[in-house]
Amino acid sequence: MTDATTPKTSGAARKISGSGRNLDLFRVRHIPDSVESRPVPLSVTEPSSLNKPVSKSFYFWLMVPAILVLAFISIYPFFWMIYMSLHDVDIGHIEWNNFANFIKLPSDTRFLMGWLLLAQYSAMCLTLQIVIGVFLALALNGTRLEKVLVTTLLMPMMMAPLVAGMVWYFLYNGTFGWYHWLLQSLGILGPKSILASSNTAMIGLVLVDVWQWTPLITLITLAGLKRVPQDQLEANMVDGASPFRNFVSVTMPNLYPVLLIAIMLRFMDNFRFIDSILVLTGGGPGNATKILPVYLFEVSFKFFKLGRGAAIALILLIVTIILGKLLVRVFDRQQPSKV
Amino acid sequence: MASREVIQYETPLSKAFRGFCAVFLAFYVVWTVLPLFIMFMSSFKDLLEAFKLPAVGDWAGVTVFFEFTPTTKHYYELFANLGFSTYLFNSLVAAGGSAVVSVILGSMCAYSLSRIDFKGKGDLFFWIISTRMAPVVAVMVPLYWIFRQLDLVGTLPGLILAYTTFNLPFAIWILKGFFDNVPYAIEEAQMVDGATRFQALRAILPLVAPGIGAFIVLCILFAWNDYLFAAIIGSGGAKTLPVATRELVQPQNIQWGQIMAAGVVTTLPMMFLGLVIRKYLVTGLTMGAVKE
Repeated sequence: MTDATTPKTSGAARKISGSGRNLDLFRVRHIPDSVESRPVPLSVTEPSSLNKPVSKSFYFWLMVPAILVLAFISIYPFFWMIYMSLHDVDIGHIEWNNFANFIKLPSDTRFLMGWLLLAQYSAMCLTLQIVIGVFLALALNGTRLEKVLVTTLLMPMMMAPLVAGMVWYFLYNGTFGWYHWLLQSLGILGPKSILASSNTAMIGLVLVDVWQWTPLITLITLAGLKRVPQDQLEANMVDGASPFRNFVSVTMPNLYPVLLIAIMLRFMDNFRFIDSILVLTGGGPGNATKILPVYLFEVSFKFFKLGRGAAIALILLIVTIILGKLLVRVFDRQQPSKV
Repeated sequence: MASREVIQYETPLSKAFRGFCAVFLAFYVVWTVLPLFIMFMSSFKDLLEAFKLPAVGDWAGVTVFFEFTPTTKHYYELFANLGFSTYLFNSLVAAGGSAVVSVILGSMCAYSLSRIDFKGKGDLFFWIISTRMAPVVAVMVPLYWIFRQLDLVGTLPGLILAYTTFNLPFAIWILKGFFDNVPYAIEEAQMVDGATRFQALRAILPLVAPGIGAFIVLCILFAWNDYLFAAIIGSGGAKTLPVATRELVQPQNIQWGQIMAAGVVTTLPMMFLGLVIRKYLVTGLTMGAVKE
């Protein structure tokens, strides 16, 4: 603050100028906090309009519509689900049945098998997708054609799972399916379609899921690979590490968090999407591919045992919520490193 | 990379590995594209031509695949006689409607969630995300019952509302991350300059507009590709493309040419949209956990 800018009338500023008559301009002065250190205008006029501090109600009213809609389509049905799971539900008629829906479940082999098959299906899908997806990302990363190839790989993901199921149903067909012909020609399969025998039907479904969703893992891994610190890789190389060693000790640890997210997402999706399974096998042959969501679909919307369906749905939902809790925790841990 | 002179990067092993990678990539691209290609080609084939297969083990006979006279009669049949224009319209309205509703309500809610803190915000958030993660089949059981009582089954508004169950939480979750990236200082500066709270909000909209546009498209994509809700809640009056495609499978004769044509009609617009929002795709599909 120099004397030139100090107005004579302002009280706060006069304090400085008064004691600063014999100032040494080149010494750093200590200005007490109580002193206004900016030039103060001669007269302070009230602004023509003043904004009041934002009230919380503004935010509240912005949130209300979404919360209400969401409550209507998630909380309200949730209570209905509990209510229905305790009753025998027929069209237009509901009757209390002393927890019979739940009591029957532990002795329902298809329900138990459903969980087992779901686990089996998820495990097969995830293993294949992670292995192929990560390898694909490594092969793609930094190549000249990366952009074009990634765009090509994206295509199956844009497809409705149902349409994907139909196309593969066509390809697997025992009399005119091209993939069936291929498998037969390679000597892998007999004249029976891959979906027709209970040993191989699950593999057929897994292949479709792998075809459609491996690119997602690849995309996620590619995003992760771009974040691997290059300086660490180079330092490691200068120290004489082989590319393989580099991959194991620098790239992999950096990939784990993204891979974890990918695994969780795909795992949840295996619970959510059964469209292609409904088309391809519908749970058959026998019950070989009747994973739990398919069984639930059958109970609720084929036999219209909505009460029983609600009981199964409730259990499925609780398991999903627990998994979701884990997923959110993973997400939160991911937050700080997000750029 | 001055270290290039010091260290031998190219070993025979790494060269072999790179070669293997190239082969694998080529193979994988073929494996990815082939079903789509076959779908596309089969939609232009006459029924008998689509069924032509070489004998088992006859590798040279693959050329049979290309021996056909292209016909567009399946597409014509779909739109002229099977009412696919109605289903296309239903799909458009249901997907577009739910996307617009979700993104408008969602961005309002997401904006508030991003700007203030309050007790129980974490719980509210978890509730929102778990709504999205819930298995569609499980949600559908009570929803079907409620919608039946409200006479919403088989109507487009019902279907829009049903799609909102997964699109709205998605929009809130994703857009919150989006608003978090816009500094509050911008709005503050606007308000210091005399803008009202609402004008300040309007001032930052251009900053988030591209993202919001992209997520409208993503919501459309999710809704368009859905089958379960459409099959159960939209059954009857609000049939969408995937359901109509499924219904072409009759026990007696399966019209493969028409099915493939319907598949192309369902898939092509979404592939195009997917390319348009390519930049936001990974963020969208991973619920914002991964950014490119």
